[in-house]
Amino acid sequence: MIDLWNEENLYIVAIAALLPLTAGLVIVQVNPYFALVMRGILGAVAALVYALFGAADVALTEALVGTMLSITLYAIAVRSSLIMRLGIIEPDLPPEDLLQTLRQPLRPYHLRLELVPYPDQESLQAALQDKEVHGICFSPNPEITHIPYEIQTRVPRLYQILSGHLPLETMARLNPTPEFTPTNSL
Amino acid sequence: MNGIIIAMLLALLIPIYEAYRDSHIWQKMLAFASIATKTSMMILVVSVLRDDWMIGVVGVLILSVGNAALMLLAHVIKRSDEAGVYEP
Repeated sequence: MIDLWNEENLYIVAIAALLPLTAGLVIVQVNPYFALVMRGILGAVAALVYALFGAADVALTEALVGTMLSITLYAIAVRSSLIMRLGIIEPDLPPEDLLQTLRQPLRPYHLRLELVPYPDQESLQAALQDKEVHGICFSPNPEITHIPYEIQTRVPRLYQILSGHLPLETMARLNPTPEFTPTNSL
Repeated sequence: MNGIIIAMLLALLIPIYEAYRDSHIWQKMLAFASIATKTSMMILVVSVLRDDWMIGVVGVLILSVGNAALMLLAHVIKRSDEAGVYEP
């Protein structure tokens, strides 16, 4: 048993105080990627504390599983779930300023925009029906409407996020989505 | 022994403050690299001072594994970076 309040062992108390400090830093992070980096820092400090208390096996497990494996798996999970897949028609790519405007309302939610190209209009609609993409962007027939681009999403929450954004509404028309049911929720 | 460890602890507080303050992902990763190396060096110093080679071997393993975790995480973040998540 180590006498922690002995002056010789004061450094153990000082280092153990780092653990709640870094754990608090993990909690205050908003961006999921930042939180993962802070979790790595917490794992490094935790391994140090465990090794100081003589638990070498616990320290090794914390470094291998708690830090390396968990943050890598979580980074992949966050990267593949916080994403909006937008189907487009390959030769008729939407302009870059439209994509930049589309990224603006997605940014507060840390959503990434991924473009999925399709050869023609029929396969684009089929991809939306088959839930391969979350939304599609295409230019409708210019004889019917004067707005060059039309965006349609099958996810009601994405429609809510995008519909309040004024610069986007001047550049493209946002089609309303079907009613929210358990089957169309991602 | 106390003096060396307390000095290393004070040096460890600098990158922790940086990780808290910086709002750019790569600066946070830099702070993480610094902390991962510093903590494993502290484990090595403690193992030498206590003459405990079980902790010493674990310190060497954590030194190498901490950097492996950093590289894996950096690769995933770099792919997201290229897709434009962190554009200003």
